[in-house]
Amino acid sequence: MKQELTKKQAQKLMSIKGEVRGVTFKTDIEYILREKGKEGLKKVEQELKRLGVNLKYNDINTMTFYPVGLRALSLLVIKNTFNYSDDKIKEMGFFATKVSLIIKLFTRYFLSLQRVFFKEAPRIWRKHWTIGELFPVELNEKEQYAILRLKNFNLHPIYCYYLGGYFCGVLQLIVRSDRITFEETKCAFLGDEYHEYLIKWK
Amino acid sequence: MEVKEGKKEDKTEVLLEDLVSLETYARDLFTFLPLPVCLISSIGIILEANPALEKITGYQTEEIIGKPIDAIFNKQSIKELSEQTFKEGFVRAKEMDVLTKDGKKIPIRASTVLRKSEKEETIGYFVGFFDLTNIKRKERELQNAQTALLNMLEDAAKDRKMAEDAKNETLMIIANFADGLLVFDKENKVSLINPKAIEFFKIKSNNIIGKSVSELNQVPAFNPLIKIIGAELTEFFRKEFTLRKNLVLEATALPLIEEKEKRGTLVVLHDVTREKLIEKMKTEFVSLAAHQLRTPLSAIKWTLKMLLDGDLGEITKEQRDFVEKTYQSNERMISLINDLLNVTRIEEGRYLYKPQLSQIEKVIQPVIASYQDEIKKKKIKFDFKKPKKKLPKVKIDIEKIKLAIQNFLDNAIKYTPPGGKVTVSLRSIEKGIEFQVRDTGVGIPEDQRDRVFTKFFRATNVMRMETEGSGLGLYIAKNIIEAHGGKVGFESKEGEGTTFYFTLPVEEEFREFLKNF
Repeated sequence: MKQELTKKQAQKLMSIKGEVRGVTFKTDIEYILREKGKEGLKKVEQELKRLGVNLKYNDINTMTFYPVGLRALSLLVIKNTFNYSDDKIKEMGFFATKVSLIIKLFTRYFLSLQRVFFKEAPRIWRKHWTIGELFPVELNEKEQYAILRLKNFNLHPIYCYYLGGYFCGVLQLIVRSDRITFEETKCAFLGDEYHEYLIKWK
Repeated sequence: MEVKEGKKEDKTEVLLEDLVSLETYARDLFTFLPLPVCLISSIGIILEANPALEKITGYQTEEIIGKPIDAIFNKQSIKELSEQTFKEGFVRAKEMDVLTKDGKKIPIRASTVLRKSEKEETIGYFVGFFDLTNIKRKERELQNAQTALLNMLEDAAKDRKMAEDAKNETLMIIANFADGLLVFDKENKVSLINPKAIEFFKIKSNNIIGKSVSELNQVPAFNPLIKIIGAELTEFFRKEFTLRKNLVLEATALPLIEEKEKRGTLVVLHDVTREKLIEKMKTEFVSLAAHQLRTPLSAIKWTLKMLLDGDLGEITKEQRDFVEKTYQSNERMISLINDLLNVTRIEEGRYLYKPQLSQIEKVIQPVIASYQDEIKKKKIKFDFKKPKKKLPKVKIDIEKIKLAIQNFLDNAIKYTPPGGKVTVSLRSIEKGIEFQVRDTGVGIPEDQRDRVFTKFFRATNVMRMETEGSGLGLYIAKNIIEAHGGKVGFESKEGEGTTFYFTLPVEEEFREFLKNF
């Protein structure tokens, strides 16, 4: 059942320290526009306003940094407004990699899987977020899997799905496969020290 | 003057603004671009695609980005394209197909350019392409039109050859035709003359082609023909003329009709010299034979008559019966010989007559009277319908007209069964008189009616009932009537009866007719 956010919860989220690039809002905007049109976007803005946040998505700049709490709140409002499942959130993460300007800028470094995984992935993270650290743990091209570890990122559990989809999306740009799956083997919200993702492809 | 460096924070803000503007500009340009464009990574993955590419392939953004390039291009074609791009840095206008989401193949012309990093590392390449569907369709249409045109030209060439072959064949037939042929065009000018006609007239074709009928009349050799065909070249059938000694031709003029319009006239000249000669010899033979036979037959008749009259002594009844039968047979033979002689005279043009103004009624009466015994014997109802007003006199050879009437009447009585009816009538018609014999006899079979007035004709139904008869009576009668300028005809229904009739012109017409003799 849909659980309505409260102003208090919103305020709590907004108080989390750290910033994120406007590009992440932009990818959400594109997804909503495609799925729900302008009316859908308006609904999200209205819900944010109800929660005391006056956000105009069209005013978001791709390269500007915004509070991570606002980003988390935006995603939660989208999920609640349209009653999105976790899979839908995962799909939003996957979709983001296809339209993200920062990913596009990074494609010039997509020369090999090794390079992207070990060198560019942490950089891509840092280009987006001022919190959290992404560690490439293992890459096995023969067995077709990779393990990524995300530390110090306890923003909200909704990101467990979103980022899983996101990692799959980036991987698809460097491996020739359309069957990429992930599994969050460790989760900071479940008592682990960090998040760990096992990403497989066939 | 000291140049002061601006505040670092201000510069970052300006750079950020420029970056946003640049992003907007790049996105707008990429989105607007009507040509499908995509960015392919060095390992063959689609990293970027503009809306035009999404539209043509039918894939959505998240479907196409991250897809291997060979999902939308033929493997071999894209392999060649990639290799050439990596080798030469670009490819210009390579024709290939793009594969859509629903499996269609769209013909395109693709161009590429290599993309390198700041460190000159090959990142991948851009592919842009042009949809050739419409061009290809036009090409196909043009090709089809060209093929159709070529087929039409081929057909036309075949038709022309066929027409030429047909023309050559026709010309060959005309050239080798046994009859002389003259073709006149719409203006009645000679357009063709075949070798046989040239041989007949002993002229050169060059001197004849293009000449009108009146101009032809200036050529002496053509005079006999022009007399027959006349200036108007009207249709006629089998008219004989003597072109010169030992050359009798039979001419037929036929209109050349195409799509219901007269395009010209064909004159066919058939050499009948040999037929005429044979006919003449035959007539001469029959004439000779008939004359030779008539003399002994007359002697036999005279002797038999003497026997019957008792001039040579009394004969028994039995002997009389035999002699009478012999006498009748002899009479029939004399009659046949006379018929044959009449025929030969007709054919030799020697059937001269002695015309005199006469009342036809008076000529008919004795003929009818001579059949009274036969009429009574067969119990035939006989009626002679005379006109109320007196008929005008006609100029006739009485003996010959008697013979004609006798032949008509003889047939009527002979072929009317006992108890039947024979009606003779006379009436006045415009510019002449008409004689009619109507019987209720056996009639003439429909399929034999066109031969009624020909020599030796005897209808099949009368041959079964009456073995005797020369088949010359109606032929002679017709020739007699026509020699008088009259016309003969008949109406008949098999099993119901026949009506024979002839007309004779009265004085005025007859005078005109006599001028020909």
